[in-house]
Amino acid sequence: MALRDAAIVGYAETKIVEKSDVDVWELGAQILEELLDKTGLDKGEIDGLILSSSQTGAGNNFWSQTTADQLALEVDYCNIVDIGGCSPAGAVARAAAAIDAGLCNIVFCLYADTQGRENNNRPRGFAQEWTQPIGYMGPPAAFGLLSKRYEHQFGLDYRALGKLAVAQREHAVLNDLACEKLRKPITVDDYLNSRMINDPIRLLDSVMVCDGASGLIVMSRKAAEKKGYTKCVVPIGYGERTIYRASEAVVDPTTTGHKPAGEKAFKQAGLTPKDIASFHPYDDFIIAIMMQLEMLGFCKHGQGCDFVNANDFRYTGNLPLNTGGGQISAGQVGLAGGGTNLIEAVRQLFGEGDKRQVKDTKNALVTGIGGIPYGRNWATSVAMILTPNS
Amino acid sequence: MAETIKDTLHIARNPSAPRTFSQKYWDGTREKKVLLQYDNKSGKYQFYPRANSIYNGRRSVLEWREVSGKGEVFTFTIARRAREPFRGHEPFFIVLVTLDEGVNVMANVVNCSLEEMKIGLRMKPYWHPLPDGTNMLMFEPDRG
Repeated sequence: MALRDAAIVGYAETKIVEKSDVDVWELGAQILEELLDKTGLDKGEIDGLILSSSQTGAGNNFWSQTTADQLALEVDYCNIVDIGGCSPAGAVARAAAAIDAGLCNIVFCLYADTQGRENNNRPRGFAQEWTQPIGYMGPPAAFGLLSKRYEHQFGLDYRALGKLAVAQREHAVLNDLACEKLRKPITVDDYLNSRMINDPIRLLDSVMVCDGASGLIVMSRKAAEKKGYTKCVVPIGYGERTIYRASEAVVDPTTTGHKPAGEKAFKQAGLTPKDIASFHPYDDFIIAIMMQLEMLGFCKHGQGCDFVNANDFRYTGNLPLNTGGGQISAGQVGLAGGGTNLIEAVRQLFGEGDKRQVKDTKNALVTGIGGIPYGRNWATSVAMILTPNS
Repeated sequence: MAETIKDTLHIARNPSAPRTFSQKYWDGTREKKVLLQYDNKSGKYQFYPRANSIYNGRRSVLEWREVSGKGEVFTFTIARRAREPFRGHEPFFIVLVTLDEGVNVMANVVNCSLEEMKIGLRMKPYWHPLPDGTNMLMFEPDRG
């Protein structure tokens, strides 16, 4: 199988800030240098470049090759993955596929965005015609609609959602790379009392847009062994689904593409949700974490809040959750934000979690959410299961 | 005391922005008609208008049919923060209404209090004029 023949041999991440002092390519150069230092590779050995989506890069139709040029990378495979928050995990899967197909050997996956400093995004979609004219403010409005519908169908225990927010915030306090503004502990009452944005979505349900970058080096396991890397992380299962239930006019938004994506990832990995040692779900809004627990099979559809109440999501708990704080408490690095939770999972499996190191590093589950379609939930869902090679 | 949810009628809106495949919908609004795309092969409607059928991917199966525009609230939210030109006019409703023909339409709401608003509430069209002579589909409770 192609996927598990690949290995992540190094990772890098910048501090997450509200607004970057430096250009997006300077952040990219910072990531490249850290990866070269950590892996001992020469720049010339990198022959593949895969970028995540980027609001700063939007509008440049040559973003991946321009970035290769700026960083002086001579590569045989050059690509951007434009599935929003799914791009970083999606890039690892595509790197594995490209290596397996013989297109390249050593891939630099770079997830950099400086949306706060420089947003060049001019999206062409349904919004200009159907949602901007009614004052719909993108994701918070979409999740308001979604949450209200969930509440109608199943009821919604806001204290349970608050418990997730509190656990992630505790982790951000322990993460020196998290956005400083967010590194203050919160309580469930702080969550409940935070102001409404789009009922019932509160301020503390929501991500804050930030700037930053992260990245990985992917090569074949064989190449990693030959080079003598003793530590590496292997993707053993991956599933991806875009526009779940596209052929239906009215879609129950409480069901998501994570159901088919998760089933595929677990089947490939030969694991079940009970086997998962730590969980690093994409978190644009708190309710998305709870819904992923349902769709990925940790509990039944509609019973996510009960599951949350019955489990401990701190890094010391039985199901550690986004141990770096997630994006909601570490900051969302624009469209490269999926890198935050992915890098944290890799870091934990390398055993480099420092003050927040989880005990059980036999595997980690990472997910992505990308894009907001009209009146549904989200456009792309991905799930990736990682394991250390040793 | 119950909070007042504002209507959005006095906000200056841009003209409609049709695409080639949605022009007929906007043309219909000039006469305050709700026109939906209907796939005559699958026997189902779709919204928002697209260049092909969401059911089978084909273009040739699509025709336009006038419908009543009546339906019920699928879900709703209260926007308490918005961008221009809506900024300062919060809070207002955004609803998804399931029309009787089985499609979801997102819209603003008039003549409806927070107490009355609920999932399942019956709604009917309310037309709001746009600068280009087309009309924007909004909804109000169907009490009759």
